[in-house]
Amino acid sequence: MSFSVFLESRRAAAKALVAELKKNFAYTSVLGADIRARSVRADKNTSAISPGRDTECGFVIKLSNGGAFFEYSLDDIAGDASVLAAGITDAFRLNEELLADAVTGALPADEPLVRSFVRENDIGEFSEQALLDFCTQQKDALLAKSENVRNAVVILGSIEVSKLFVSVNRELDQNYAWINGTMWVVYQSGERVVQSFDGASSHRIADVLAQLPALQDKLLKKAQMLAAAKPVTPGVYDVITDPSISGLIAHEAFGHGVELDQFVKDRALAKQYMGKYVASPIVNMRDGAASTLSAASYFFDDDGVPAGDTQIIKDGILVAGISDLASAAQLGLAPTGNGRRESTRRKAYSRMTNTFFEKGTDKLEDMIASIKHGYMLFETNNGMEDPKNWAIQCVAEYGIEIVDGKLTENVVSPVVMSGYVPDLLNSITMISDEVKITGAGSCGKGYKEWVRVSDGGPALKVKVKLG
Amino acid sequence: MKNLIKALQAHPQAEEYKINIHKKESCELFYVMGKLETVRRTDTCDTEVTVYVSHGAYKGDAKFFVYPSTTPQQLAQAIDEAVARALLINNESYELPAGDGTAEEYAVESNFGTYEPAQLAGAAARAVFSAEAPEGTSLNAVEIFINRHTETVLNSRGLHRTQVRYDAMVEAIPTCSGEAQSVELYEQLRFSSFDAAQLSSRIAAKMTEVKARYSAAAPTAPLTGSVVLGAQELSELFWCIADDAGYAAAYGQTGVFKKGDAVQKEPVGDILGITMAGAVSGSPRSAAFDADGLLLGSIRLVEGGRLVNYYGSNRYGQYLGEVPTGVLECICVDAGTADAADPVQGPWLEVLSMSGLQVDFYTDYIGGEVRLALWHDGGNVTPVTGISIAGSLAEVLSGIRLSAQTTVQGGYCGPEKAVLDGMKIF
Repeated sequence: MSFSVFLESRRAAAKALVAELKKNFAYTSVLGADIRARSVRADKNTSAISPGRDTECGFVIKLSNGGAFFEYSLDDIAGDASVLAAGITDAFRLNEELLADAVTGALPADEPLVRSFVRENDIGEFSEQALLDFCTQQKDALLAKSENVRNAVVILGSIEVSKLFVSVNRELDQNYAWINGTMWVVYQSGERVVQSFDGASSHRIADVLAQLPALQDKLLKKAQMLAAAKPVTPGVYDVITDPSISGLIAHEAFGHGVELDQFVKDRALAKQYMGKYVASPIVNMRDGAASTLSAASYFFDDDGVPAGDTQIIKDGILVAGISDLASAAQLGLAPTGNGRRESTRRKAYSRMTNTFFEKGTDKLEDMIASIKHGYMLFETNNGMEDPKNWAIQCVAEYGIEIVDGKLTENVVSPVVMSGYVPDLLNSITMISDEVKITGAGSCGKGYKEWVRVSDGGPALKVKVKLG
Repeated sequence: MKNLIKALQAHPQAEEYKINIHKKESCELFYVMGKLETVRRTDTCDTEVTVYVSHGAYKGDAKFFVYPSTTPQQLAQAIDEAVARALLINNESYELPAGDGTAEEYAVESNFGTYEPAQLAGAAARAVFSAEAPEGTSLNAVEIFINRHTETVLNSRGLHRTQVRYDAMVEAIPTCSGEAQSVELYEQLRFSSFDAAQLSSRIAAKMTEVKARYSAAAPTAPLTGSVVLGAQELSELFWCIADDAGYAAAYGQTGVFKKGDAVQKEPVGDILGITMAGAVSGSPRSAAFDADGLLLGSIRLVEGGRLVNYYGSNRYGQYLGEVPTGVLECICVDAGTADAADPVQGPWLEVLSMSGLQVDFYTDYIGGEVRLALWHDGGNVTPVTGISIAGSLAEVLSGIRLSAQTTVQGGYCGPEKAVLDGMKIF
């Protein structure tokens, strides 16, 4: 795999368009994306090889003279640049009445930078036949494991990203890939039907193909557990979170709250807590496309800003937020490389990338042993942010009861964890010494604008409301 | 288009094909603290081609996209690759819907066509910002999306249909600030007919709610009473049933319910009745036909509390030996007997905003975190926050009482309110 031939063929057109548009707009950029997403899938009755949800090929033009931004999304930029530039400029003349009351802000920075970035991958080394055969074999193996398995689904999802960014002073291109392998079963025990999921992800298909088969027994065991699970008795408990739930807390409790476009909108309580304690002093948290190699690792963001590695919480103190170009310009800060779009057809916002708590010094077994009665929670289902009011809701797939310092056979599911963010973060008293980051998630802003993210961390000991 | 069809017809193995074209034009306005921050325009067109190849007892299919930049050589290669991919897919056979070769045009009900997108976006912004706002409240963020979709489906069996659909989305963040604190709520309105007065009124109602949130506090003593959910949460609840009753879920045995099963066991409240429909007046999810080009009508899904039909796509409908209904995007729930304004005799919790209702038929769970509710106790109404609700989904559905008053919200048309008994408030 290499950088998109199509985007390469439009590099000169992008430069010409920027040159034309800068006659009217002091800040002008063109972002081109050629994204090939593919899903190879097999279940009990059907199979498919289809383009994935993220597939796109198009451009977005971003313009500003300071203050308001203008964006125009289109399929292609070929042709006479002066004609195209005139059409784009005209499209925004329609809104002059609305522009009478626009934001004020500095012109975005556009420091000179010319670079090409490539992360090698092995997508081209596997034929579609081989990938479909793998999915079919895994599906058959899962179905053969138990008569209780009503259906088994195995999916290999890959995404190959090429992006070209051209502004007055910048010319960047990047090329990288990510692969998610997912398996799930529909499992019936008596009248009860449950679904059990597991997966693996990497920038190399070979890694995913190696990891998935080893997860089958765990997947079936989890299905059996879920089939026997009972609801949790609502209440406040001592809880150990597994790395995926720790990641969900990092993401929902604090990640959204330090997206700096929320500061501009006065939508984040965190704004009042910069430089102050927001968590237990043993808590450290980071976000960045360059913080680790996972699902949200790129080389530059959709505003043409190099990937960052931002320490958000240091020793319990909130020290920094994450920004896109527009919010950074309005706040007078340097952008952190977190400007992300669902596609070239959507707006760029400040978005999380790879978000995680850093490791601590405790051993997991000591953490479990410290609990008289509580639960260990496993595997993310979903979560919802509320950065203004610092409420939090995180849903775990299941929990295992801890009694007298030992994990029992008692499983509860699903488990809805809710509370007030500072209470939760200040309740962290132990942090394990191993970090795991899960790279198969998607994140919305509110209820839209989906982008790929990863999150994770060590195990945390917290006190929280379960229901 | 002609070149694309010609290339498909010329390929010896591309026996059947379908072309989906989606042209989207939009105007989007983004406001921060009442001031315009970003204006967006989109003018894009997607062309997705599906090639179907029968081989042995099977039928395989494969999709690819054609872009304005796609050259004839790239197109020929894409068809070759799609045919090769389709030959790997061993699915049960099925027939594509047929037409008579006539290009049919459909317009989905909306009054958006009388406006230019930018003009309508401006009118929507004026309606939002002119909403009555109690002292101390403001709209800290507003996003307005006005979309015009022109969708065409044509296939190798003579089907050729085009529809024009409109939709709008307003995301607003009503905020109330004072000396003690600053709080917000989230509102997302979706509609396909523009009524400035109605839009202002809905935003004004949310401004009143956020004022209530400002004074809301966590209850000092446990609350015991009925829980009353609004249309947003009811939509989430009933879509869980609909999602489980699709032809694809039935064929794949991934659903909880089979036809004939009681969705509502031993009902003691209002008896559930649900109809799936292709179009509902005012719903932005209304469509004349689905992605296969099947014309959309309606089908009764739940009758007397039991699942009586499945619904869904052409392919999976044929697999099950059912008449394909097409993918129906609107859910219509029968009205009930409760009065939305005064639904309960005893104390009750009126939920106004949640972090997201969690509904799980697999584990018989319903619940979630409540961001704002009103606690009605006798003549007293107290705003409360910092609470959660949880209960048995089966018990809740058994006793559910639905309001006689209905509303349309997104793809949901049904009772404005529902009373749930047996929920724990904690």
